[in-house]
This record gives sequence, structure tokens and C-alpha cells, in this order.
Amino acid sequence: MSLTKLSGAFIRSAAYERRFLTKNPWDLSMVVWLPLITVLMIWWIFSQTQITDLPIGVMDQDNGPVANTAVRYLEASPTLTVRQLYYSDTEAQAAILQRDVYAIVVIPENFSRNILSGKSAPLILRVNAQYGTHSGIIQTSVQAVAGTLSAGVEIQRLVKKGMSPAQAAIAYSPIKIQRISLFNAATNYQQFLASTVIPALLHILAMVIGATTIGRELRDKNLGHWYRFIDKNKSGHKIVEPASILVILFGLLGKYFWPTVAYSVWAMLALWLATPQTSIAIGSIVITYIGLILLMMLSFWLGAIFTLGAFSLRMGLSSTAFISAPSYAFAGVTFPYIAISDSAKHWSDALPLTHYLKLHIAQLQMQAPVAVSLPIVYGLTLATVIAMVLTALLTKRALAHPERWGAR
Amino acid sequence: MSLTSKNHSSTTADDSSEYSSQHFLGSFLQTLKDVFSDKGVLLLLMIAPIIYGFFYPWPYSTEVVNHVPVGIVDNDNSNLSRTIVRYASASPQLDTQRFLSEQEAKAAIWSDDIAGYMVIPSGLEQQVMSGKEASVSVLGNGGYFLLNKNVQTGFLKAVSTVSAGIEIKKNVAQGAYLATAAANTQAVPLKIIPLYNQTEGYGAYVVPAVSILILQQTLLMSTAMLVGTWYEQRRHRASVRGWLGRIAALSTFGFMTGCFYYGWAFELHHYARGQNMIGSLLFLLLFCPTVATLGCVLGLWFRQRERSMQLLIFSSLPMFFVSGYPWPAYQLPEFLQIIRWLIPTTPAINTSVQLNQMGASLSQVALGFYALAGLWVLYFMLLMLIRWYDCVQQRKALL
Repeated sequence: MSLTKLSGAFIRSAAYERRFLTKNPWDLSMVVWLPLITVLMIWWIFSQTQITDLPIGVMDQDNGPVANTAVRYLEASPTLTVRQLYYSDTEAQAAILQRDVYAIVVIPENFSRNILSGKSAPLILRVNAQYGTHSGIIQTSVQAVAGTLSAGVEIQRLVKKGMSPAQAAIAYSPIKIQRISLFNAATNYQQFLASTVIPALLHILAMVIGATTIGRELRDKNLGHWYRFIDKNKSGHKIVEPASILVILFGLLGKYFWPTVAYSVWAMLALWLATPQTSIAIGSIVITYIGLILLMMLSFWLGAIFTLGAFSLRMGLSSTAFISAPSYAFAGVTFPYIAISDSAKHWSDALPLTHYLKLHIAQLQMQAPVAVSLPIVYGLTLATVIAMVLTALLTKRALAHPERWGAR
Repeated sequence: MSLTSKNHSSTTADDSSEYSSQHFLGSFLQTLKDVFSDKGVLLLLMIAPIIYGFFYPWPYSTEVVNHVPVGIVDNDNSNLSRTIVRYASASPQLDTQRFLSEQEAKAAIWSDDIAGYMVIPSGLEQQVMSGKEASVSVLGNGGYFLLNKNVQTGFLKAVSTVSAGIEIKKNVAQGAYLATAAANTQAVPLKIIPLYNQTEGYGAYVVPAVSILILQQTLLMSTAMLVGTWYEQRRHRASVRGWLGRIAALSTFGFMTGCFYYGWAFELHHYARGQNMIGSLLFLLLFCPTVATLGCVLGLWFRQRERSMQLLIFSSLPMFFVSGYPWPAYQLPEFLQIIRWLIPTTPAINTSVQLNQMGASLSQVALGFYALAGLWVLYFMLLMLIRWYDCVQQRKALL
């Protein structure tokens, strides 16, 4: 097998594909416009990077001086905004059901009096836990307000007993806790969600392209035509001998050349957005980029494998949807990997996205040394090579069965 | 209705396809027949939503995050520090592990062995006993939000308990009664009452909303696939009543899927459910035709069997994020806040959750119903517009 013949197959296949893409705007949009819009849109969705001003209500049944302070503290919290004061349970309940507010802080009767007489005076937070994001943030913020109130009351009480304010602060809480968030200290949702959702969406789009690029040849019964085009024999267009696996491999590389180029650019855009002003080592960016490109190529081949395996573009797309669309839920970003049920962990481990995102977070957010993530790059490389060879073998099988072409 | 249909089918028996696209019932039945004779449409419309009903909640079946692996670096090695370590390891939220240095702990974070660690500085006990300011550090991994929260609160509780113990001892030593001293440690405790999703499970939070998204996406893709196939076979033309029959037939499948989620899938996973069942069913009666109509519009636009899947598979995640459920809608850029209302899930997810999980009354979700009705009218007008344009083109071609 001469090298010129193989490079000829590559070039002819790429030219074949270029002609197709220029004539079919829908398919071109899958390669160019849709991924570009998707990447920018996700970034835009989370452009306000922190959740602020969640609407809550207050039911003040006490109306004492400390209760007023509590309301002031709640209003001062940047994550909360006191939308309204309610005076009856039914009113408050209706406000939650209509989603006017996501929580009600109840200040019970005798709240101020209990505090002044040294008794414990609880605040009650009724929070809509069905809205998990909202509820989590509200709970943390109201907890902080309660903590501030407690500290104020306690320290004042100790000062009255004759302690100096500094002493009182120590006596109130002998062991302080310094809470430090390593990495992404500002709980920036753009860093947390957008930067991980974008690779997940590119993965889905790349698998769809993987399925359609080879699948439409099967559907339109053009697979034989494509092979004859890339393997121009001197002996004319009738091929008698079985298709050559190397020609197929180089032909496939040519066929996926344009999507590979395009998705290398989108991958670069995704990483450029995900690496803001903070200084990240160039090695980390390079390894993440390699990982993302490998994920894209692996996705192309996986889409092709499902299509060729079923001899049907439609089935290839169905499998793609089944595997790639929910893969973000299994990837262990929003719901942590260690909490995923044991049986589902096997599925999670089998998904390439899980491994890529582990690398992505370790390198770009935790700024781990490059060596930590090298095994993932090796694994992705191995998977990509195996998937590529498998695609070539399945294409060869498909070429041998023209009677099964044209399935819808 | 059935009588007239019989009359028609007997008089124009030779032209049954003409009949089936002109009349409501005929078109309804023909669509059912087409769905059942098309494996691809059937898989998307009926089988996929059922599989997803089990598949999607799968990773969340543990619901609550517990026993998060964390590290402790104890540089003090005193009675006090050992007490703190003991309390931390007793916490159900944490699964502690000792490290000799911060460096080791950090390496463990990088390789995802632990989600955070606490550093107890040397000299802690001495400082506390002599009434000086003392502190421990808790370092969580900000890369994973839910884990970080667990690490912080788990350690916070352990250290606060130890800290409060010291304070009580000191107060009692200064002559206070033990009971008053214990009450005083937290003057304003917070009592949290989680409503609706009372166990605060993650699956119970996310799955009821995602189910509506799955219902929309499968109904949308299968409808567009069927209509695209009709277009390829030049069978897509129908009268207004014919289109209504098609929409009704496809909505029936969506309605059944919705009932499967409300009645079985949520029950199976013990999610909050069925708080306002009649409201939920009325919601499905409006939501399914709205989605099916949009599917018909997309099918006529895409004009090819497989294209709906090609173009719609990726759209689920962005649609979920603009729905206002996982991320507050008022945080979105203004332009997105407006155009997001063109997607059925935008009013639908919140409306469904308010009715089925929270038990709101119909008047409390009226806005969602009006929005869905408005969308249905909009999509149907678009459908009629395409139909009219198609007729004009056909007439031109005949001339």
C-alpha cells in the first residue's frame, strides 16, 4: 500500500465532504453555527456569575427591637432580598406556592423578650426545598444572619458582665473556624457550571456529527460510491477485491477532517472562556486542550460506531441521544461522583465525559500538577485509537453488505 | 362522529388517504396507525420516555450526600485537638482520614481522594486555655459546590460542638447554671423547615423538572420525525381539521407518558407528587398539544426524517438552564429572559412542579396556563402559515 494512495484517499475524501457541506446548509450549521452559538449562549446564560437577591418573605409576630434588627440583617445580605412582610399563614403560604418568594422567615412572638431575659429564642425558616439551588443558598444566608445575631446578643451580654469586647468575642467562641474555599473561592457559577456544561454540549454535538457524517452515506445508499471515489483504481470503478482497511481508515480521517478542524476551534474558544484572568500554568491549558480534542474525536468515532453497528442513521442518532444527552448528570459535577449510587458509578465510569471533566476541573480550577491528569489523557488516547480502528472495521463490514443500506 | 366517518369511508373507499388528512377522526386514527407502524417514531415517542423514567434518576438514588471523604491535619496533637478529630469522625456527613502534612492533603484533593480538609494549628490547646484567640482552618474544594457545602458544614458542626463545650465549662466555672449556660451558647438558633421536598434529596429536586423536559424533547423529536417522514413521502398536506386530528393523536401519547411520570415514576422514587392531581392532568392536557404543534411546525421546516434528532438532541441542557428552575430566571441576560418564553418548558416546568410537587391551586399557576395557551396559538398560527404557503406553492406548480 503506497503512501501516495493513502494520502490520495484522505484528500479525495476531504474534498468529497467539503462539496457536500457547501451544498447542505443544515449539515454545515451542525459543524459551524450551532456549536458556536451554543458555546457563546451557555457562557452568556451564566454571565451574572453569582446568585443574588433571592426573594424571601418575613412574618414578624414579635415586632420587638431585636426582630427589627433581624429583618435589617436579612435585607443587608447580598444573596437575599426581603420582598414583603406577611401577617398571616395563608398569605405566606400562597406567596410560596405562587413563587413570589422562596422562603418565609418567621420571627415568633416573644422573640425579643426571650432574648432580653437570656432565654433561647429561635428563628424559623420555612423554605421551598423543591427548588434546590434557591433553597441551599437561602439556608446558608439565613443561617449566617442567625449566627451574627447570636454573636451580637452573646457578646453584649458578656460585655454587660464587665468583659472587654475583645475578651467577650473570644469567650463567645473559643475556637474560631476559618472557612477557606480552595479554588473558585468566589463560588463563581460561570466557572462551575458554564465551563463544564460547554464541553458536555460539544460532546453531544460531536457525537451527532459522528453519526450523521457516515450515517447519511448509509441512508442514501452512497457508501459504495464514496469508497469508489476515494479509492480510484486504475482498473476502473468495479471493485472486485474486498475494500482495504487502510484506505478506509484514511478515507474516514478525510471525511471527518472538516468537523475535526471546526471542533478544534470551538474547543479553543471553550477553554479561552474557561481560563479567565487568573494565572493558569500553560501546561495545564495545553493538557486540557489535548483532552478536549481527544474527547471530540472520540465522540465522532462513537457516533459512527453506533450508526454503523445498527446499519441505520436513525438508530445511531437514538443511541447518541441516549448516551450523550444525560451524560452530564452522570459526570459527577453537579451531583458529586462519590455520592452516585454504586451501580450507576459503572455507567458513569464508562462515559468519556466523566473522565474529561475530571481532568478539566483538576487542571483549570484546582490547578493541579499536570502529572495528576496524565493517566486520563492516556486513557482517552487509547479509547480514541480503539474507536477509530473499530469504525474502520465496521465501515468495511458495511461496505460488504450493500443489501442493508438505505435503512431509515 | 363515528356515523359520518363510516358513511365517508364507504362512499370514498378508494380515496382513504384523502379522507384521512381532511377529517379530524380519520386523521387521528391514521396518525395512530402511522406511529405504530414506524419503529423509529414509536421508540422515541413511547419507549424512550419510559427508559428515561428509570435511567435519569439512577445516579441520584442515594439522594443525600453523606460520608464525604475528608482529611484532617492535626499539628497540635493535644487533648483538645484529639477531641475535635473525634467529633469530626463521628459526623455522618464526613468520612475522615488523617494526613501528616498539608502537602499530602492537597495532593489527595487533586487526585479526588478527598473533598477537603481541616488544619488544626500547633498550640491550639494552649491558646484556648489561656483565653487567647484561636482558630482552625477548613479548606473545601470550590470546584465542586455540593461537596464543598458538606465539608464546610460537617467540620463546622464538629468544631462548634467542641467550642461550645469549652464555653459552657467556663461559664459554669464562673458560676452560671449548666442549663442557662447551654441555652446561651446559641442565643438565636435557626430552625429550618424544608417544604415539599422534605428530605431535601437531589433527585427529588431535579427529576420532577427534568421529566417535563424529557417529555417535551421526546414528543418534539418524534413528532418532527413523523411529519418529516410524511413530507418525504409527500403525505404531509392536510386540512385544518386534519392537522388538529394529527396533533390530538400525538398529544395522546405525550399525555400517557406524563401520566406514567406523575403516577408511577415519581411514586417509585418516593418524590413529592400528586399534590394537585386534577391540576396536573389539566396541565398535561394543555402542554402536550402545545409541544406536538411545535413538533409539527419543526417537522415541516426540517422536511427530513432524521433531522429533528440531529438538531434537537443537544438542546435539552440549554433549555433547562433558561427555564428558571435550576437557575433563577431574573439572573439571565435581559434578552434571554424574553426569548426563553418561546420554549414550552419555560412555563411548563415551573407550572408542573407547582401543581404536582407543591400543590398550588389552578389560580396560583394561571400565568403558566396562559403562557402555554399563548404558545399553542402561536405555534398553530405558524403551522397554518406554512400550510398556506405550501398550498400557494402547489398551485403555482400546477399552473
